[in-house]
Amino acid sequence: MIKIDNISKRYPKAEKYALDKVSLEINTGEAFGILGPNGAGKTTLMGIITTLILPTEGNVYVDGEMITRNRIDIKRKVSLVTQHVSIRRDMTVSEVMELAGRLYGMPVKQIKARTKDILEFTGLYEKKKQVARGLSGGMQRKLMICRALLTNPKIIVLDEPTVGLDPHSRRKIWDLLEMLKQKGITILLTTHYIEEAQSICDRVALISNGRASEVNTPDNMISRLGSYTVDIYDGITTKSYFFDTKEEAIGFAGDIPGKTKLRETTLEDVFLDRMGTELGEKVK
Amino acid sequence: MIETATGEILSSAEASEEKQSRVFRGLYGIRTAIWEMWAEFRHEWKRITIASLISPLMYMIALGWGLGSMVSTGDRPYIDFLVPGIVALSSMNAGFTSVGMSFSTQRLYERSFDQVLISPTPIPAYVFGKMVGGALRGIYTGVLILLLSIPFGATININGWFFLVILLNGMVFASLGVLAAILAVTHADISRFSTFVIAPMTFLCNTMFPVEKMPAVVKEVINVLPLTHASSALRAIAYGGMPQWYNFVVLAGYIAAFVVLITIVLIRKSNL
Ligand SMILES: Nc1ncnc2c1ncn2[C@@H]1O[C@H](COP(=O)(O)OP(=O)(O)O)[C@@H](O)[C@H]1O
Ligand SMILES: [Mg+2]
Repeated sequence: MIKIDNISKRYPKAEKYALDKVSLEINTGEAFGILGPNGAGKTTLMGIITTLILPTEGNVYVDGEMITRNRIDIKRKVSLVTQHVSIRRDMTVSEVMELAGRLYGMPVKQIKARTKDILEFTGLYEKKKQVARGLSGGMQRKLMICRALLTNPKIIVLDEPTVGLDPHSRRKIWDLLEMLKQKGITILLTTHYIEEAQSICDRVALISNGRASEVNTPDNMISRLGSYTVDIYDGITTKSYFFDTKEEAIGFAGDIPGKTKLRETTLEDVFLDRMGTELGEKVK
Repeated sequence: MIETATGEILSSAEASEEKQSRVFRGLYGIRTAIWEMWAEFRHEWKRITIASLISPLMYMIALGWGLGSMVSTGDRPYIDFLVPGIVALSSMNAGFTSVGMSFSTQRLYERSFDQVLISPTPIPAYVFGKMVGGALRGIYTGVLILLLSIPFGATININGWFFLVILLNGMVFASLGVLAAILAVTHADISRFSTFVIAPMTFLCNTMFPVEKMPAVVKEVINVLPLTHASSALRAIAYGGMPQWYNFVVLAGYIAAFVVLITIVLIRKSNL
């Protein structure tokens, strides 16, 4: 279990707190999503969990033990896929993998064997001698995920891992995450694609302005808002109205002249609703 | 297809649960940092080799052949005086640049240092590995220059002590490179550091002319700089003698001081 206990972070010289007393608990083997608008503090939180960033206040516990930069035994079990590309551009694909393996204290033989398996699986194997500088952005991101898997993490932290990937590669990553889930690996994921969180995550937390406002399963969040949505376009903007049952929704839509659309509510609706945009309102 | 591969890429999951001591991690971390620099060297060795020969070659032509004929340095030819100085300043440059430039790029621009920070490798061990790697690059450069000096007719004495001094000198400046790299806010800071700290030493520290020819005050300042002691020690050995004991003490002292400073910065700085 990962316990995020009252974490606050203020960057040097920053006026406001990037994170303000955030507490969360993530169960072992769970896929946990963190959603929030840009600047909400997601990357900061991911950094603190992996000791990349040190918190101003609060602690993070993994299985009851506090994680610090010195806890090499805990760090051994954690991998991070950063939001920015964080690979040496002058190294080849297999060297990037080897460096990661060595940093995690793996024997070179094991690094080589696992690198081959993982690169073959993700289709990067034929690029193994290519220098990272020459890879496309999508390939670089894929390589970061391969690197994270190399060390056999128990916890994998992914900060917007599918940004900039084409739909096909994105699906492949989702399959991969699904597979990791089945293996009992704890996944922490921030993402722009809310559909990604909805399909992969067991639970999600919404954060904005450095505060975690709500933690729940995607289904619960959706049913609390109303499982059915009617979108009404009035010629200028689209407004969404949420209903618990399909009948209610149909009844509502039938009374409205003009362009209406009935559909199932998604996590994105919840997200937009909670983030205070003026797009929707709940009719009860 | 995914099923079979699934088994493969996670197969050794439980088997590889290594229990490694802190000492082992530390030593392995040093090796990792050296390996990283070696990988970098393998890609760039041609450029590194040519770049580290250009200015020494110019010094040897301009000063050794050109000015040298007009200079008297006791009973030995000027080129014999010059070569140890060039070895000293070149190993300084190699030590500083190989670590300072690359490490700051990794930290500030390519951000691959993030992976070091989150990894179980102890950061002091990693940083120490960089210092050793920088010192080895100093030795590589030193050897190149010794080879280059042969056609210039330098006849100097070389032994194990000679290489020990190069190693220490490379380490002093590699640790300065580490310090600059972890303090740098932008990549340009490293170039600035080079301009203000490394470049002046290149010319002043007993490399191309004897410190004795300097005014007293300037001499005092120059005498506390590490490169002065590296040049003096190398020249003493090159002339067939032994360096002063305090040459070693000063170089070792600088390394120790930089290590302490680096450790303090690493502890103090929450956002590396
Ligand atoms: N290194 C930094 N120095 C100062 N402020 C920062 C730094 N990194 C992030 N911030 C600020 O902290 C807040 C949260 O940023 P971040 O964690 O990157 O958000 P997100 O990943 O959700 O977009 C933002 O207001 C951002 O400007
Ligand atoms: Mg972010």
